[in-house]
Amino acid sequence: MSNRIEAQLAQLKEKGEKAFITYLTAGLPDMETTGKLIKAQKDTDIIELGIPFSDPIADGPVIQQASYEAILAGASLKKTFALMESLRAEGVEKPIVFMMYYNTIVNYGIEAFAAKCRQAGVDGLIVPDLPMEEQELLRAALTVSDETILIQLVSPISADRIPEIVKDAKGFIYCVSSMGVTGQAADFHAKVKEYLTYVKEVSEIPVMMGFGIRQAADVKDVKDIIDGAIVGSHFITLLRENGFSEESAEEYTTKFKTELNAM
Amino acid sequence: MNKKAYYGEYGGQYVSESLMNTLQEIDEAFEAAIKDPEFLQQYHYYLKQYVGRETPLYLAERLSEKYGTKIYLKREDLNHTGAHKINNVIGQILLAKRMGKKKIIAETGAGQHGVATATGAALFNMECTVFMGEEDVKRQALNVMRMEMLGAKVVSVRSGSNTLKDATNEAIRTWAKTAEDTFYIIGSAIGPYPYPKMVKEFQAVISREAKKQHMEAEGRLPDVVMACVGGGSNSIGMFADFIDEPSVQLIGVEAAGKGIDTNEHAASMAKGKPGVLHGTRSYLLQDDDGNIQLAHSISAGLDYPGVGPEHAYLHDTGRAQYVPITDSEAMDALMELTQIEGIIPAIESAHAVAYAFKKAKEMTPDQSMIICLSGRGDKDVNTISDYLAGKGYLN
Repeated sequence: MSNRIEAQLAQLKEKGEKAFITYLTAGLPDMETTGKLIKAQKDTDIIELGIPFSDPIADGPVIQQASYEAILAGASLKKTFALMESLRAEGVEKPIVFMMYYNTIVNYGIEAFAAKCRQAGVDGLIVPDLPMEEQELLRAALTVSDETILIQLVSPISADRIPEIVKDAKGFIYCVSSMGVTGQAADFHAKVKEYLTYVKEVSEIPVMMGFGIRQAADVKDVKDIIDGAIVGSHFITLLRENGFSEESAEEYTTKFKTELNAM
Repeated sequence: MNKKAYYGEYGGQYVSESLMNTLQEIDEAFEAAIKDPEFLQQYHYYLKQYVGRETPLYLAERLSEKYGTKIYLKREDLNHTGAHKINNVIGQILLAKRMGKKKIIAETGAGQHGVATATGAALFNMECTVFMGEEDVKRQALNVMRMEMLGAKVVSVRSGSNTLKDATNEAIRTWAKTAEDTFYIIGSAIGPYPYPKMVKEFQAVISREAKKQHMEAEGRLPDVVMACVGGGSNSIGMFADFIDEPSVQLIGVEAAGKGIDTNEHAASMAKGKPGVLHGTRSYLLQDDDGNIQLAHSISAGLDYPGVGPEHAYLHDTGRAQYVPITDSEAMDALMELTQIEGIIPAIESAHAVAYAFKKAKEMTPDQSMIICLSGRGDKDVNTISDYLAGKGYLN
């Protein structure tokens, strides 16, 4: 069976469009709203669903706070799986990636987790505290099929690690725009252009940029290099300011996607 | 998988991609440094002339008599800044200088590692930022003042539970952002490889000295060596030179807080299960969803939900035993040591003392044990006074 992320990216390539990816914290403010916010984003190509964790070391203040509140509101991996199952049962075919920390997977059991992802229709995983050296067990559990793929991250100082990281990568490459954590204002690494160009050169799959992006104009300088943009912290702040309304989610994402492809 | 980063199935490098090259650089610099006679000479010079090593191995006569076995105390409490933490700080800060880093950052819970780091930063003229949970900033105001006097910037971390684990998260985040010119000095035997190895290397001086001192005093190895375990820095240092001596029993004492059958303890080995936190795989206190649980101990230095990966390995292989001691057992031992030997230990160290009293019952007069007295109790007088006044204590 093919993978929804890969299918979606292949379609975009055919149309010559850039991808737009958003991040939502699962269960903020509650799982039902998260489900609605996923469905409201008709122009978003891929949705990252953040599984809240008590110690999110790759995240800045916005996502930390979002995770913390979601946990207090009862969110968990199990409940997020239940949400996925109900969305897929309703016929939602949007590619969905879990963004989560490794302990949540270890706690669930790596094999059981991989099997559950396939069953619940989780298309990909982003695990920011799992560099390539530590991926062996998770990769082995996922190789049963390509229904759930592990997305690879690279950073501006990955340098000579990049060819190795992108070698067997699937779906897309997630290029972190700056050193540090999510949600810093569009303050990209000084050598972001050279770095993205290099990744694009060695990668056989699409290259997306994330961290610190708020509007399409933020990626104007690199638009000819990258295949898409990822917005997380800013999207959460915006949703919060708008009472997590479906309208605000739809409006923002449609505008971003349109502008991204009009630049 | 980078096999050398592991102790059995524990350890590893669970950090974001943006830190992987940094860890590689540190590993290379560290391995070169500890083979460089000039570096080692410098490290030992500062340990002797600045820290005040070697520390005594004191035969606690009255305790020995009372408990019917020889009880030796390795007096890490007599180090400059009052605890073993400075041993590691001197080593790591010399390494940071050697790597050309200008700034250092550190996390701290009780403030001991923060004070030691701020001290080293003053000595070596480096810019220093210490991350401390908002709760700890409040309850350890004196140590905050010490760090500020020493010229460090103390960042009060308001995230999650506002304690050591959150301060560590924030230090790691800042490090990921600034690794190009900043060195992160981790104080405990935790963190991604090579940190557990570095901390062990720089704390191993404790057991190197103690082994030699015990040999001089008794003409043989001790029967038992014990130390308290939070993240596990003083204990790994106390164990280091005895690990390959099978006749020496190694005992790590965890903080059982209000009891390991309550929800308020820090006994990650007794009650935790393997997981990943702060860059390493080890035993962790966690809930059914894999979220890290808050630890509790009357001693802020043991108040950590995980433990160093080598301890997890020593535990699983049976080479070391890990036992729990409650808040009240530790406080009783603290008072007893104070009154019988005239030594006020840190509450952390008092956990090891408390278990020593239990252990002594199965030992004979010609056997001997070494307790690592990791720190002095001056920093704890407020907690002790609250405890004695029956008001309970903070946290």
